[in-house]
Amino acid sequence: MDKCIACGLCAEKCPKKVDDLYNENLIKRKAAYVEYAQAVPLKYAIDKDNCIYFKKGKCRACEKFCPTDAINLEEKEEELSIHAGAIILAPGFTAFDPSEYLTYKYAKHPNVVTSFEFERILSATGPFQGHLVRPSDHKEPKKIAWLQCIGSRDINQCDTGYCSSVCCMYAIKEAVVAKEHAGSDLDCAIFFMDMRTHGKDFDRYYDDAKEKNGVRFIRSRVPTIESVEGSDELIIPYVNENGDISEESFDMVVLSVGLKTSPELIALAEKLGIDLTEGKLCQTASFHPVSTSKEGIYVCGAFAGPKDIPQSVIEASSAAAKAGACLSVSRNTMTREKKVPEEKNVTGDRPRIGVFVCQCGINIGGVVDVPGVRDYAESLPFVEYVTDNLFSCSTDTQDIMAQVIKENNLNRIVVAACTPKTHEPLFQETLISVGLNKYLFEMTNIRNQDSWVHKDEPDMATQKAKDLVRMAVAKVALVEPLVEPELDVDERALVIGGGISGMASAKSLSDQGYNVDIVERSAQLGGMALNLFRTWKGEDIQKNLSELIESIETDSNIKIHLDTELSSVEGFVGNFKTTLNSNGKQEVVEHGIAVIATGANESRPDEYLYGEDSRVVTHLELDQMFMNNDPSLKDIKTAVFIQCVGSREPDRPYCSKVCCTHSIESALYLKELNPNMNIYVLYRDIRTYGEREYIYRKARLAGIMFIRFSVDEKPKVSKDNDVLKIELWDPILEETVVIKADLLALASAIVSYKDEKLAQFFKVPLNEDGFFVEKHAKLGPSEFATDGVFLCGMAHYPKPIDESIAQALAASSRAVTLLAKKTIHVGGTVAEVNPLFCSSCGVCVSICPYSAPSFIEEGPFTGRAEVNPVLCKGCGLCVASCRSGALNLKGFGEGQLMAMINQI
Amino acid sequence: MTDWEPKITTFLCNWCSYGAADLAGVSRLQYPPDFRVIRVPCSGRVSPKFILAAFRHGSDGVWVSG
Amino acid sequence: MVTYTDEIRKTAKKLLEDKTVDVFIGYKKGTVPMMNEPVLVSDADKADTLYWDSFCGLNLCNYLTKRTDRIGILATGCNSRNIVTHIIENQIKRDQLYIVGIPCTGMIDHRAVLRAVKEREILEVTENGDSFTVKGNDFNETFDKKEYLQANCKTCTHRNPVEYDEVIGTPFEEQEVSEAYRDVEKIKGMASDKKWDFFTQMISNCIRCYACRNACPLCYCPTCFVDESGPQWVGKSIDPTDTMTFHILRAYHCAGRCTDCGACERACPVGIPVRQFTRKLNKDVFDLFKWEAGLSLDERPPLDVYRPDDYNDFIR
Repeated sequence: MDKCIACGLCAEKCPKKVDDLYNENLIKRKAAYVEYAQAVPLKYAIDKDNCIYFKKGKCRACEKFCPTDAINLEEKEEELSIHAGAIILAPGFTAFDPSEYLTYKYAKHPNVVTSFEFERILSATGPFQGHLVRPSDHKEPKKIAWLQCIGSRDINQCDTGYCSSVCCMYAIKEAVVAKEHAGSDLDCAIFFMDMRTHGKDFDRYYDDAKEKNGVRFIRSRVPTIESVEGSDELIIPYVNENGDISEESFDMVVLSVGLKTSPELIALAEKLGIDLTEGKLCQTASFHPVSTSKEGIYVCGAFAGPKDIPQSVIEASSAAAKAGACLSVSRNTMTREKKVPEEKNVTGDRPRIGVFVCQCGINIGGVVDVPGVRDYAESLPFVEYVTDNLFSCSTDTQDIMAQVIKENNLNRIVVAACTPKTHEPLFQETLISVGLNKYLFEMTNIRNQDSWVHKDEPDMATQKAKDLVRMAVAKVALVEPLVEPELDVDERALVIGGGISGMASAKSLSDQGYNVDIVERSAQLGGMALNLFRTWKGEDIQKNLSELIESIETDSNIKIHLDTELSSVEGFVGNFKTTLNSNGKQEVVEHGIAVIATGANESRPDEYLYGEDSRVVTHLELDQMFMNNDPSLKDIKTAVFIQCVGSREPDRPYCSKVCCTHSIESALYLKELNPNMNIYVLYRDIRTYGEREYIYRKARLAGIMFIRFSVDEKPKVSKDNDVLKIELWDPILEETVVIKADLLALASAIVSYKDEKLAQFFKVPLNEDGFFVEKHAKLGPSEFATDGVFLCGMAHYPKPIDESIAQALAASSRAVTLLAKKTIHVGGTVAEVNPLFCSSCGVCVSICPYSAPSFIEEGPFTGRAEVNPVLCKGCGLCVASCRSGALNLKGFGEGQLMAMINQI
Repeated sequence: MTDWEPKITTFLCNWCSYGAADLAGVSRLQYPPDFRVIRVPCSGRVSPKFILAAFRHGSDGVWVSG
Repeated sequence: MVTYTDEIRKTAKKLLEDKTVDVFIGYKKGTVPMMNEPVLVSDADKADTLYWDSFCGLNLCNYLTKRTDRIGILATGCNSRNIVTHIIENQIKRDQLYIVGIPCTGMIDHRAVLRAVKEREILEVTENGDSFTVKGNDFNETFDKKEYLQANCKTCTHRNPVEYDEVIGTPFEEQEVSEAYRDVEKIKGMASDKKWDFFTQMISNCIRCYACRNACPLCYCPTCFVDESGPQWVGKSIDPTDTMTFHILRAYHCAGRCTDCGACERACPVGIPVRQFTRKLNKDVFDLFKWEAGLSLDERPPLDVYRPDDYNDFIR
């Protein structure tokens, strides 16, 4: 594998074509292949199940043509045993195979595709290079339909009772992207039962898809797809919301298939002895969301219930935190230190540039006149040495390069070869090995961006290579050695918020061996969970909560600060200094990282007679009645729940995520108390995602009535002679119904605390709803862009207990990646201010996403800017924005880039 | 005019577009050899000064991608 | 408008006497007609040098940059918006300032007046309400002020000061302006070669004196990019490419910050309508971000900040 240079010759010469699984078998690939073009490491492989040599014993074409002898057909499968202290299961899911649904004609009709196939069709690296065409005739479709819940929420045909959670959102995304690719004339229609866009900012995306992108949403479960004789079109018959039967024709139908556990995985679970749920998903508990039933085995991702990328990423970090806690005693016991030679000081020396031009076998040399480029390089200023290599990256060439650098006393190196994205570190190692600073290097790309893409124009490709080498030489002459200073990290953590998330995070940090200060603004630990009765899985929240509180109170690593708020924060990652204020008493805490877990609150409704009639209560008030065993509950004859009270409204266009499940759970509990109670749930979309769907089903079986309303026609609540009346339009009965209720429970929205002070302290952003904005919606959900500050729980977005705890563990896991290092390595490519040029205008301070620039507070340059290299990510936004020319980016300096531009 | 080849200065973000240009290579997608790529750490690094400088040095087009 | 003079003198005198401010920045009558000069008065007795009429076209905000004393300053609508921008950009602190606002009816374009009298030498100008009279050796003509306003004043929708401690006179209703950017739209409609010709022609007389830059309150960098040598962004010559580079970059530096006060154009000794560059960007910033510079002390210009809902249609 080390020898493979990913030139692709093996795949080109391989005679065997096989279905390309990565592209959902929509096209073919070779038996010698790279699974997908972005694969890391980019190395080719032989598909043993299809290779002619492995099947018939001859061919070996790949071996013959491989320029680097990288192919070893004799390689045997190896069995390894690994001693591990913990196991993390992240086996993912299998997409539901809709072939068994005969009525949907998936197996028969090429234009009925799964959502996964459609993803590939949309992809630039997919079968049609991202050009949206239908499979039957490769014509551009004019109308596409999506059918939701294929293999989800269905016990009739496929025995999957749960909701797959992600399909509503991915279908909307596919429809929007399809319209982006094909133009807005493309008609996209999504047939759905309940629109489940409960994630952060998902409802906004849904609204935009409807209003801005013109995606049509049709509330209907489609029973069948009909093909048209002699045409590639498809007919969808459906019952519309008025109960009328209609039909519509489409060019293409996408089946939004659900997420399932594969039979192999079920077998593995059995082998491991871990429990599965009714839906054959890994069993976990709300307070232990990534722990399987077997100690030491943790789980993350869709195997523990269908979920989207952010939640999978959160759980991945959580599982790592749990494993990290098991293994914390052995942390850093197997590390070895690397020896590097002392660095030569070349500052002030005249540049002596060495240029190494790579042939890359025939990959570059077959198109570009490499000797010509080499000779041209010799004519460039400051160039002292030139050569060309067959393979610059091979170990022996690296040894020779090191030798050459020493012998010729070179102090700047240019390599013209493949891409710096894969090979820059390798060449930099060679520089380090001869005592040259690794930044005295410039790589220019004459393979991926030249010879490979201009195969038929060798002259122009050669000219391009010469230009690129000239540009690189001009730049490298101006580069300077850069230092990467180290900074000690204070190994103490500060957790802000003593609710479930804050406590879970503090506990996890302590379990991983760190000291924690936990700050709570109120007089007791517990937060919002103190008001909650039980989870949808039936777990007693107060019992679990008191166990968690006790574990915090008895933990010697954790110091609890009640009745405390922050009054100031100084410093940055690794070295924060926070002043705590407890009723006027100040205390300074030094810490390396901070976790923000300040939670959210229940809103006070200003509608439906709330506050005017004592029978109208919120969720939390109803839970309080449950916990108090309120005797009046048994006498209730009719109870009504109204959903989305203050959520998904123009002023607050997000979903509060927990309310549907909470209402149904409460409704079921009322049924437990009094099975004869009449219960109505008035809803807009029921969002019982994942296995929460079971309790929705259970509720319907228990006789709880669900009536849907739209945001334009909300229920009307009135009091008539002390009778609480709820009036609304029932779209199924097609008439207005009036319910007389003894209890009206409002699913009031979860609202943020909009903690601007805290946001200011840690220089982290709030969104328009007042929730904190994470580093990356998908890939960095539990941390901020500002280094050393982490995020979990409802301060991020409304979420249930299991997700809050998972994110709390994730935040601590991400924090430990910093704490465990003990020192922070500062990058060399950072921005720097020349205060003499600075005009104090503050653009840099305002524009930096990482809060690296700030104003100097004392000395002769007071008021001018400085950049904290520890926080700087080297993006150069500040440099480009600086009108005064005071900022520069080391490694991509104004002069260096201008030198390149000058040589264009 | 037929022999005329434009000169296009291209600023590519290291993290996305530069990688995409690499990927075009891996996929052997052929395109005209008129581009000269300058790798930048972020398209936000590109100031109007660079764009004007590129034009001043004879570029017929400037492409910022990131 | 002339009647403001007495009140300005009175106010300045009071502010200087009771030590509210160390210095008062206003205008005095110029030595040449139609060219009032900025003046810094620190002696209460000299407050009578202050003067006001429709030829106060220079932007006083220029004289605030990085001062450390307490300052009283006259501010029309656009000048006050520049003061706000100055405060946001840390060039002066709000609590150092005592802003004396002046609702402004617009400044007179001295070049237009000169053209109207066929470039004969004007010796005296007197303003009288909505009209003004110019006298020369052999002529005496009265004009309607409205017809001779500076181009930026004609389309001004912020005549009243936006930030002030007291106002002289009474603020009046802002004028309704239709098609404020007709000139920009016209250029936008040209084919690219016509556009190129238009701008090349427009700046062909530029002598690179940098008067436009110097008159602009937004240009306060210790070292201007035109003066930098390593790297050199712009050649020092009057080569058309360098001149174009200078004008475009200067305009970019003003994007989202320009109040269209017109000081640059007024200062140009060769009469180049340099606002054509800045106005295009003003229009874009307004269209894309609903932003006009200097209206709020709490918000930085849109190009200084990132918002998730920022315009990004240019990404293809």
